[in-house]
Amino acid sequence: MTAVLSPPSGAPKTAKAPVRPLVSAAPLAPPVLSVGLPLRFVITGLLSLFTGVVGLVLRPDLLATYHYNQYIIALTHLFTLGWITSIIMGAMYQLVPAALETKLYSEKLAKWQFVGHLIGLVGMVWMFWIWNVKLVGHFGSIMAIGMGMFLYNIFRTLKTIPRWNVIAFGIASALFWLTLTMLAGLYVAAAKCWTFSPFDTVAQMHAHAHLGGVGFFVMMIVGVSYKLVPMFALTELQSERRARWSIALINVGLAGLLVTLLLASPWKLAFAALAVSGLALYGWEMLAMLRARKRRHLDWGLRYFLTAISLLAPLSVLAVVLCWPGLPLTVFTGQLENVYGFLALIGVVTLAILGMLYKIVPFLVWYHSYSRQIGRSKVPALADLCSTSLQAVTYWMFVVALAAVSVATALSHEAGVKWSCALLAACMATFAVNIGKILIHFVRPKMEPLVLPSPLKGNA
Amino acid sequence: MSMPPITEEMIYEALRQVDDPELGCNIVDLGLIYEIQIEGHKVTVTMTLTTPGCPMHETIGYGVRLALLKLDPVEEVEVQIVWEPKWSPDMMTDQGRERIGLR
Repeated sequence: MTAVLSPPSGAPKTAKAPVRPLVSAAPLAPPVLSVGLPLRFVITGLLSLFTGVVGLVLRPDLLATYHYNQYIIALTHLFTLGWITSIIMGAMYQLVPAALETKLYSEKLAKWQFVGHLIGLVGMVWMFWIWNVKLVGHFGSIMAIGMGMFLYNIFRTLKTIPRWNVIAFGIASALFWLTLTMLAGLYVAAAKCWTFSPFDTVAQMHAHAHLGGVGFFVMMIVGVSYKLVPMFALTELQSERRARWSIALINVGLAGLLVTLLLASPWKLAFAALAVSGLALYGWEMLAMLRARKRRHLDWGLRYFLTAISLLAPLSVLAVVLCWPGLPLTVFTGQLENVYGFLALIGVVTLAILGMLYKIVPFLVWYHSYSRQIGRSKVPALADLCSTSLQAVTYWMFVVALAAVSVATALSHEAGVKWSCALLAACMATFAVNIGKILIHFVRPKMEPLVLPSPLKGNA
Repeated sequence: MSMPPITEEMIYEALRQVDDPELGCNIVDLGLIYEIQIEGHKVTVTMTLTTPGCPMHETIGYGVRLALLKLDPVEEVEVQIVWEPKWSPDMMTDQGRERIGLR
């Protein structure tokens, strides 16, 4: 007997649509996915974040005074390399193959890269703190070797993608800027040891910071959100052209900003405006996608992420103000630069990452504990692995703490910075509790028997 | 004693036990099942997934196979994943739309 069955009543009509070419047969077992690799980057990242926030509670003067000192440079590298870059690398090893529908080139290389990353990170932050610039350069070189492995691995992965799209364009751009950030960092360290650089020290540091902050972090957020937001909100890219232009304008703006920052040229405003116009196009596309979404209710992970990217608006205004030609460097404008950096790293990038961690960590744990049980037992959905109410509490604590730290920093109010950073640390603790609730499924999976129609086999 | 025949209801009831873990809804109500063919004791399921490339979703095809092999008359299951026609939320049933809160 050959029967083509129609779906039961209530099933959609489209299910009977003519079936076009077969792409693949489903696997006989779920594909092997190393959850340990991304998780070790995630854990390194979270430890760095907690250490950094506790560091700010203990030393609020670092935000309440001008930012050019060894301690704030050490903490900034703990946040940027230890927290943000670790998470991005771990997530990329997991998400790039998924987002671009391909496989990671070499997992072994990624494992070695983690070793270099960890040694480089601990050494660099420590040497910044005690201000041994020569050893910063040495540990930075170890980290650079690790980053080289990471870049090679991801570029080889990108080479295998079946279709070069706007997401790949964004990710490739971010990796290009990461390479330049790393080289600029080594240049800044070398320029501290030997006097060969024609550029002003603070200008070099600002150029290095923008390469990393805008080029790597923000560009990565822009690129991956063109995949993740449609996936989680059930919507589609509304204009690929607009999306491509957003990335192109950020790239051109940043390239010009790099040169004009180094040369202390008044043209930096024009290039900042170009990058901001790219971000405006990005915001426009995000709004268009959200308006067209099918999913009414947005989960907390997505709300964190969308709040984070909406903070790009005040950040852009601050950027334009700070690069206004002739703006004098006063105590207040120096503090505004601190707010700018804090809002970028903790407001935009950290909040975006916390939101995405509510997607990444449940995915890794679910895959490890339940992927071989689906169809065999009733398994929880990803959203069931953590507490929604704790997600809401963490969100509001974060928003209040962010606003309070920003105001206290702008006003150079040391006690205000201390207590608002303490609130931020408490917020991180609630986040950690929720992540713990997810991780508990590693050791204690929750499953129920399936309710299958009779007649069943004895092994049901 | 001969085995009972495979029925349409039996297949769909079994497939309703397999959920998409991201959306928290079963694959029948999501509209992921395009076609089912029965040849004797062999069932061929032609289906799609909501997003291409996600490794988690590959487990769904595996889950479909396991869930159907639990049915007594089913001895062989083939699951074919296709990307055309592309899945869209419009393919969901009313129950599915209600479940995940679609507009």
